[in-house]
Amino acid sequence: MTTLISDTEHQDRTVHRVLLGKKQVLVTEDEPLLPQLERSGILVEYQCREGYCSACTIKLLWGKVDYPIEPLAWVNSGYVLACCAIVKSDIEIALL
Amino acid sequence: MSYSTFNRKKFDSLQEPMFFGENVNVARYDQQKHPIFEKLIEKQLSFFWRPEEVDLSNDRKDFLKLEEHEQHIFLSNLKYQTLLDSVQGRSPNVALLPIVSLPELETWIETWSFSETIHSRSYTHIIRNIVNDPTKVFDDIIVNEEIAKRAVSVSKYYDDLIELVNLYNTLGLGTHHVPERGEVVVTMKTLKKALYLTVASVNVLEAIRFYVSFACSFAFAERTLMEGNAKIIKLIARDEALHLNGTQHMMNLMMSGRDDPEMAVIAQECQQDVINIFVEAAQQERDWAQYLFKDGSMIGLNAQILGQYVEYITNVRMQAIGLEPQFPTKNNPIPWINAWLVSDNVQVAPQEAEISSYLVGQIDNDLDGADFDDFDL
Repeated sequence: MTTLISDTEHQDRTVHRVLLGKKQVLVTEDEPLLPQLERSGILVEYQCREGYCSACTIKLLWGKVDYPIEPLAWVNSGYVLACCAIVKSDIEIALL
Repeated sequence: MSYSTFNRKKFDSLQEPMFFGENVNVARYDQQKHPIFEKLIEKQLSFFWRPEEVDLSNDRKDFLKLEEHEQHIFLSNLKYQTLLDSVQGRSPNVALLPIVSLPELETWIETWSFSETIHSRSYTHIIRNIVNDPTKVFDDIIVNEEIAKRAVSVSKYYDDLIELVNLYNTLGLGTHHVPERGEVVVTMKTLKKALYLTVASVNVLEAIRFYVSFACSFAFAERTLMEGNAKIIKLIARDEALHLNGTQHMMNLMMSGRDDPEMAVIAQECQQDVINIFVEAAQQERDWAQYLFKDGSMIGLNAQILGQYVEYITNVRMQAIGLEPQFPTKNNPIPWINAWLVSDNVQVAPQEAEISSYLVGQIDNDLDGADFDDFDL
């Protein structure tokens, strides 16, 4: 469930759940999905980290993501480019 | 229909397909049917670099200290990459420019090919710096059997397309008798099929064939050996990722039928051929890994690990164009390679060419009177 967390230093931050198999990771909208997954120990393939190489493509089973800047890589529906996608709701993903 | 360097017809280029429509006339970029190609041009231009920017004096010392079988690995990879970029520096121009119909795509093809010529120049820069007689290395590219085998696979689809387009441009559609070749059928369908398979084969070249060499170069650099070379390979890998993006877009646009409905039918019919191109390339690259390590492995890398990496990366690339993965390898056996493939993680001054976001000649127009407050005359 998407929740609001009060942060003493910042304003309220929206936190979403990312489900990956049996794992669950909490992410914010402050930065893209890829670095947040990496910090929680999930290794995702990557290369350019700026949206053109498509190496970090993963499956999006359900939920909503948004791209502040449209990436150069071709992204098919049902997939998400982890290096530049901002998570906008609880989501479930699967690695390729 | 013969090719014209400046098509005098008046037509709306936004209604043309990527290929086999009208020849491009006005090179205009104010409007684009597929804006992605314009964006790729911009990105590629911002990536511009020159091989001479990278100092290789330490690489020479390192190279002399390498074991003989390691020198074999290093030089063989350079030879293979030289072959690949010799093909890529000319073939997109020769094969695709006579049939392209969109100005932004035409310019992307030229920009793409040009960047491959920089890669070729960088191999000369490296080879010149590490061996006394570069001729020996370059001459072997033609006679080395292991390289020759690959040369056939990387050039045959281009050559088929070029032959068909030549016939089409001189004789038009129909069945033509070609000396030493017999009857050759030129229809829009055979032309488009040859084009689709060419793009698929180029996609494989840039997505898979380069990566065995990349892995070896970075494995040397992990041991702090041949680091100048690794820096150049990093720049090449960044360019290749962009070129790969270009061919993936071409293939996905063709498959979707959004650009040319007939192309979607051809893509469907050719699906198995494309899978075969991927699988054949993966097999050849695994064989190449065996050849590289025939006299001994290097720390952190051997033929088996490299073979698994080829399978892994082939799976990833196939999925990027909507194909089912063909190999069991699920995980990257050399995850450390990704840190080398990121182009922007090196700490360098912004005026150095390596930072891709740094654009030459940027001007800050956001000024007001207060900015001159501390000026004294």
